Amino acid sequence: MQRPVCVVGVGLSDGPVTPDLSAVMLEAQSFRRALDDAGLEKDDIDGLASAGYGGMHEVALAEYLGLTPTWLESSSVGGSSFEFHAMHAYRAIQNGDADTIAIVYGNNQLSASGRTLGTGGGGGGRGGMALPLPMSYEFPTGLTLVGAYAMAAQRHMHEYGTKPEQLASISVQMREHAARNPNAMYRDPITVDDVMSSRLVADPLHKLDCCVISDGGCCVIMTTEERARDLGHRPVFVRGAAGGTTHHSIAAMADMTRTAAAVSGPKAFAEAGITPADVDMFAMYDSFTYTVLVVLEDLGFAPKGEGGAFVTDNGGNLRLGGALPTNTDGGGLSATHPGMRGLFLLCEATRQLRGEAGASQVPGAEIAVAHGSGGWLSTQATVVLGTEGS
Amino acid sequence: MTEAIAASWSDVPKWLMPRPTKEDREYWEGAGRGELRIQHCLTCGRHQHYARMLCSHCGRQTLEWVTASGGGTVYSFTVIRQNGVPPFNERIPFVVATIDLDEDGARLIAAMPEVAPDDARIGMRVRATFRPAGDELGFVDFTAAE
Repeated sequence: MQRPVCVVGVGLSDGPVTPDLSAVMLEAQSFRRALDDAGLEKDDIDGLASAGYGGMHEVALAEYLGLTPTWLESSSVGGSSFEFHAMHAYRAIQNGDADTIAIVYGNNQLSASGRTLGTGGGGGGRGGMALPLPMSYEFPTGLTLVGAYAMAAQRHMHEYGTKPEQLASISVQMREHAARNPNAMYRDPITVDDVMSSRLVADPLHKLDCCVISDGGCCVIMTTEERARDLGHRPVFVRGAAGGTTHHSIAAMADMTRTAAAVSGPKAFAEAGITPADVDMFAMYDSFTYTVLVVLEDLGFAPKGEGGAFVTDNGGNLRLGGALPTNTDGGGLSATHPGMRGLFLLCEATRQLRGEAGASQVPGAEIAVAHGSGGWLSTQATVVLGTEGS
Repeated sequence: MTEAIAASWSDVPKWLMPRPTKEDREYWEGAGRGELRIQHCLTCGRHQHYARMLCSHCGRQTLEWVTASGGGTVYSFTVIRQNGVPPFNERIPFVVATIDLDEDGARLIAAMPEVAPDDARIGMRVRATFRPAGDELGFVDFTAAE
């Protein structure tokens, strides 16, 4: 008998700019806030997941927090790591391997490294470090992380006639949401023209097609439905989860217009017993505008090739009030992106399903999807959350 | 395309120098000789770049090195306008492309220093050119086919 699993605690650190807090301080602050939110104490935690800092980080974090967990998880697959963690935590709690799991991530990316992520110049790749395959071939070409996404976007434009203005519209709609979030990095409204006239970083992606770099930490706590019923919040159920990878290097992405989300989405939706039309709110890893567009198609919110029309139809379908309110906190494009954003998606989806999203609340939200994309569209994972169990 | 841009690519600082391994020395030395060396699978007949123990298409360990024709087609490209790593910060803007080689199954990423940003197109026919990296090794770039 598999046990139903719920999200019972979410915590956000201070942000988006915290020069006085280190990465682990941000992790600890968000962990404490998630415990308080759940009504739990640290010794209730028997499982810990984290990623982003190389070997044994979750072990060091356990020690720092004074935890002695019997379930550990450190899948490190880029920004979507935390959707993979949530999937594995869900299975572990379902099966009785663990009862209460905390997923934790924090990074002072902005304060420590500046705005170098994505275009080099932060010292990475220079000097004596041996680059992992296949990056030893890519690095000398001058390709950047942004450039890898840009090539994929360019291919989509070529095959389907997608317009840069349609990509820009995604950024404009995220900024509208950020205006409602006092902790967002950028809150002033922008227009499609603003995006199109911001400088090109790697054609066809402009500066405002790229996510922000911020500081910040987040923690999400999951446990059994049985325990969740004894805690303070309306439980938010995990109803389905799936993930996958198609490539590491962007060169090995056989079809740059189709990601592993085309597999993970249908699988997670089937487990949850839902269709795309049932989704009330979408928390999507908006590393770049194109990431959103291609995954909207892959998950079935729009037919393949029609993502551009979907995002601009109806005055903007990603807006609050649109067909699929997306990134109601302002997303990585405007609000928070401390190196990796996957965990923040699960937090915002949970807040929506609890009805705690304030000025950004989607009225009556019952089904939310958090979808992480990591690397260079390399790793994709979909988590379906709902106010009721499956 | 200006000669100044091409000249800026001829200088290879030490942090960009290839570090050949047991597995891929043939590729880097081939490029030094002016040959694009890729692997061909005797089982499935397809090709691959970069060098591996096993064929990524069929999984067999039946690979041989062959010299590619150097011809290919641009699958996609971008114009890099921001790269903080020297000397790329002095080379911008420049074109980087994903290229399907004429040999079935092989795809690679390459710089196209001689192609002006406005001239790059998906589907354009391109051919390999070779740029020395030290005395024995080299990089494979691409340029528009004649």
